[in-house]
Amino acid sequence: MTTQTLHPRVQVVWVLRAVLIAAVLTAPFVGGVYLDRLPEWAPIAAGAVFLVLGVGHALLRYRRWSYEIREDALYLDRGVVTQVRTTVPLVRIQHVDSRRGPVERGVGLASCVVYTAGSRGADVRIPGLTPDGASDLREELKRLAIRADGEDAV
Amino acid sequence: MKLAPQSVPYRALQKVSGIVVVLFFVVNNNPEWGLAPAAAVAGAVVLAAFAYEVAYYRRFDYELTEDTLDISSGVISRREREIPYRRIQNVDVSRSVIQRAIGVAAVDLETAGGSSTEGSIRFVVPDEATRLQREVQRRKSTGSDTKTDGESADRPGSEASGRTDAGPGAVGPDEEELFAISPGELALVGALSFDGRLIGLLAFLSSGSVPVLSSFIPDASAVALTATAIVGVGGLFLVSWVLGAGIAFSNYYGFRLSRAGDELRYERGLFRRYSGSIPTEKVQALRIADNPAKRALGYASLSIETAGYAPGQGGDQGSQAAVPIASTDRVYRLAREVESFGEPSFHRPPKRIRWRYAFRYALVVGAFVAVAYGVNWYFGAGAPWYAPVALLLAVPPAAHLKWKHRGYWLGDDHLLTRNGFWSRTVTVVPYYRIQNVIDTRTVFQRRWDVATIVADTAGSSSIAGNDAAAVDFATDEAVDLRETLRERLRASVAEHRDRRDRFEWFAGDAEGAGDDGEPAGEGDEPVPDTAGSAPDGDELIPDADDEASSEGDDERRSDVPDDGVIRPDFSGSGRDYSEPAERIDTGEYAVDRNPSDMGGDGRNEDDEGGTDSVDDETDDVGGEANDVDDASDDER
Repeated sequence: MTTQTLHPRVQVVWVLRAVLIAAVLTAPFVGGVYLDRLPEWAPIAAGAVFLVLGVGHALLRYRRWSYEIREDALYLDRGVVTQVRTTVPLVRIQHVDSRRGPVERGVGLASCVVYTAGSRGADVRIPGLTPDGASDLREELKRLAIRADGEDAV
Repeated sequence: MKLAPQSVPYRALQKVSGIVVVLFFVVNNNPEWGLAPAAAVAGAVVLAAFAYEVAYYRRFDYELTEDTLDISSGVISRREREIPYRRIQNVDVSRSVIQRAIGVAAVDLETAGGSSTEGSIRFVVPDEATRLQREVQRRKSTGSDTKTDGESADRPGSEASGRTDAGPGAVGPDEEELFAISPGELALVGALSFDGRLIGLLAFLSSGSVPVLSSFIPDASAVALTATAIVGVGGLFLVSWVLGAGIAFSNYYGFRLSRAGDELRYERGLFRRYSGSIPTEKVQALRIADNPAKRALGYASLSIETAGYAPGQGGDQGSQAAVPIASTDRVYRLAREVESFGEPSFHRPPKRIRWRYAFRYALVVGAFVAVAYGVNWYFGAGAPWYAPVALLLAVPPAAHLKWKHRGYWLGDDHLLTRNGFWSRTVTVVPYYRIQNVIDTRTVFQRRWDVATIVADTAGSSSIAGNDAAAVDFATDEAVDLRETLRERLRASVAEHRDRRDRFEWFAGDAEGAGDDGEPAGEGDEPVPDTAGSAPDGDELIPDADDEASSEGDDERRSDVPDDGVIRPDFSGSGRDYSEPAERIDTGEYAVDRNPSDMGGDGRNEDDEGGTDSVDDETDDVGGEANDVDDASDDER
């Protein structure tokens, strides 16, 4: 399996989230204006900065995200500020979920969560999959995990 | 089995004491209530608690069955829980002073799943607690399949366990003492312990009362004030130190670590007595820690990590089986007893990384100076705010030391990492225990072209963030390390599987059955070969899959002809195998009454195929697989 990228529509989910976070972060500035403690342009400037940062991060995040199922492990490469590359040996997979949140359903996407018994990387989530793709990936990982024959992992 | 009868009043009083204290305050604040109603309420509460505890006692029942420890409990909502012996990570017994006085002990059983204690038996008499502990271990080793033998065969000392001939009637293997704390060491532990909680508490309390305090301050002269402050802080530190020493002393009094067969046992505590057992095959990582003082004196401490949630870990001490302090070579000898890693020679990160640390520390010093300047400017005190610049002198040595104490080493079967100067930790992770490998590069690390590799295990203290990490290695080396770890994990898993399969082959052979740790009697009446085809994939089959998928699984699996998969010879068992196995939902997790991984003969090469791996949580074929195992269990 070659390196896979996410479905482009996942950017919509992430941009929406960035907008939401920007709105939450801008709220105190708006409050400041109402209390006459800040000039009127402050919330606009702050909102613009948060929005640009958030949206930029979301777009870069999409570009960085990739995953790959190799012979004996699942590789994930992601992260904008801190790049993270996770290797999940197939023998260590405990179980696999595919799930769809409300926003994901809205744009017709799903994600797949791979669980291991580890404490730090106990669950790795692969977002931005089509619903079929997510269940296919889940089945594929399950099949591979069984083939890899993980015995008692802990 | 029932609890100890004296646990009823003890539990009741334990429960009531809190309520009574609350009541006391309520009555104190409402004097018009008078004493008589308060006493009446208190009496009623005590009575209710007694009644509840009597009911609890009557309805609490535990039993050691062949494969599982069954606990049924609950007065209002019933809970029946079965814990397979093989899944038990550690068994801990603790007794506080009061519990010792009335002769009861608390038993806690940990499995890897969940964040809380899975089985908690409060309270039984101490002899019964010890019996439970030993019995669980014995049943685990006799009831467990050949895989466990395979896993433990390479561990030093397991040959001496005498486990292979441990039939159902045999007593537990002999104990071999690995470590006992000497009085000198205990004194050292006390001397080196410092309890910061008091200072934290005072800081927390005083943070709210600063305005109150500051109103008193102008009365005193500056000299007297400074003197009081110094004496106060000194006294505080002294008290904290004495407190820490006392806690450490009482915690580690009589610490003893011993090996019994495949199990490590520990005992410690002055007031509250702890004892417990850890199966060596469940050890996830070892951690050897020291600090400059300990290094200078040649001491170190060791903790042993398992996947179970260690009790008390949230609060006071780390892992229960931690050796608080011992001379360094003794610690290493002990660590090698548990995990036989060789003589490590650590690779250090590239030297240029010292510049990174130097920059980092210089920034910290800069921040210090800025804060000092700000404070000075705000109060207009005219103090020498640039004094912290002198700290810059310490930056190069600090950067060098930080670099010097980092490193990793790849042993034959273990990854060792080392980090930290002030509290240096060497972490030993067997390749076989690695769960996943994480490679992270922050923005700053990318600038220096370095990366951090974390080998994640199921050990519990890595939740606190001190995983086995090789920090700041050149990107190429880091990528190599990542690939090497993946490859070695694969190799060690394959090795374990090979060994297991080899044992299975013997297990199927009637003559060989006695040689491989199977219970006696197995050889007299060989289990039909077909019984061996019970799949073993159940551990990793996604049992927490969503409902949708399990339905899908059902549809696909129904294509598999029932008799095409499993049709053992059922003779010799009175069970009705046309019915699926009985399953019990224990609420927090589901356990099979007859888990298919408990059978000693439940695996063979067939499980490579993958298609016949059956999820026994979700469908009938899996149920039959359990029945098959049950058949083999009945044969014994």
